[in-house]
Amino acid sequence: MTAPGASQDAPSPGAGAAELGGHAFLRGMPERYVAVLARACRPTQVPEGYRFFAEGDPANLLWLIRSGHVALDLHPPGRRLIVETLGKGDLLGLSWLVPPYEWQFGATAVQDTILFELDAALVRAACDADPGLGYELLRRVMSAASSRLQAARIRMLDLYAASSSVRDEA
Amino acid sequence: MTAPVLPARYRVAGRQEETHDTVTLDLWPVDQPIPAYQPGQFTMLYAPGIGEVPVSISGTGPDAGLVQTVRAVGAVTRALCAAGPGRLLGVRGPYGTGWDVASAADGDLLIVAGGIGLAPLRGALLSALGHRDRYRRIVVLIGARSPTELVFARELDQWRCSGAEAEVTVDQPSAGWTGHVGVVTQLLPRAGVDPARTTALVCGPEVMMRLTARQLLPLGVPARRIRVSLERNMRCGVAECGHCQLGPLLLCRDGPVVSYEVAAPLLAIREL
Repeated sequence: MTAPGASQDAPSPGAGAAELGGHAFLRGMPERYVAVLARACRPTQVPEGYRFFAEGDPANLLWLIRSGHVALDLHPPGRRLIVETLGKGDLLGLSWLVPPYEWQFGATAVQDTILFELDAALVRAACDADPGLGYELLRRVMSAASSRLQAARIRMLDLYAASSSVRDEA
Repeated sequence: MTAPVLPARYRVAGRQEETHDTVTLDLWPVDQPIPAYQPGQFTMLYAPGIGEVPVSISGTGPDAGLVQTVRAVGAVTRALCAAGPGRLLGVRGPYGTGWDVASAADGDLLIVAGGIGLAPLRGALLSALGHRDRYRRIVVLIGARSPTELVFARELDQWRCSGAEAEVTVDQPSAGWTGHVGVVTQLLPRAGVDPARTTALVCGPEVMMRLTARQLLPLGVPARRIRVSLERNMRCGVAECGHCQLGPLLLCRDGPVVSYEVAAPLLAIREL
């Protein structure tokens, strides 16, 4: 399921589960759930400039970033706008969980990046089969989405503009 | 020692434009210099014939000189920003509390700056880098509105070479920007500092300082080891006029640097 350009380590479920469980996004998740996710997961690494997905593509995969960073972008005609960058410990991809399972932004590796890649269909199926896992995962996705929403709101406030409280008068 | 209330004469020896509205001045004493400063303290900087404003000290120069960074937000600061080499200015101080960088020794030092909030932190950073072996990690996280509004950008590589891990994020990237995009608080979880051994120095817009502290607390950094720099309308500098009162504090004396333990309830007060 990996897109061309990415290189993958040979999957080894036992070691993968331990490593996967150590990722900041999954920290504290019961081992039995991590073991289920590990079966849908492969370690991967991508070079700088690697295009994970484009706006409108089907959201078939999700990633947990282990190192490096990734830019989320939009492409209005003739331009590329970087919306946000993600880094170590972050979840890359939210749209895989929400119909119609299409990416709302594009994503490109800003530097060589190491990740866990998970098959979205397998993860969704595992969540449907075990609501306990679904709840644990949803809590984490919600936390990531909430942090990004808060960050977007803060950026809208334009905090670095000169505030009236520091304006001086002669 | 009480800082004098009469300004000492300083001459502008250098002027560096940081951004379209922010300038760093190198000031040399003409007569007796003001007493030695602690990083985090400020001076009252006087533009003759126009007025006086509080300005944090960003560092020291040769021969008891001062480095001060000013953002043009009104008549006095516009005059200060326009002051070219040779211009005489008045300096009172240093006033207020410092970052107490030395208390972070043997642990991780985390510096979080937003916008021009980097100016009062620069002295603390240089002080720590000057004694690099006393600290474990020195992590510097900087947020700016855009790449062109980043102050001290020219010094970033030097700080990294001296042992700081410095990351910059911007709200509005320009074409060709390959760094982080987002608010500075988003860099915190990625920094991977050891909360139990971290001292955090935070300066920037109050909302940003509050969010930073609120993110550090659940990670396990105690409120007493999160320090923020509060800005109010300092006038006299010696806790006499009351203009800078915030709750029980007169910030020109009891601040600007206070622990988040003290600052948290005060930052929640809706002021008149």
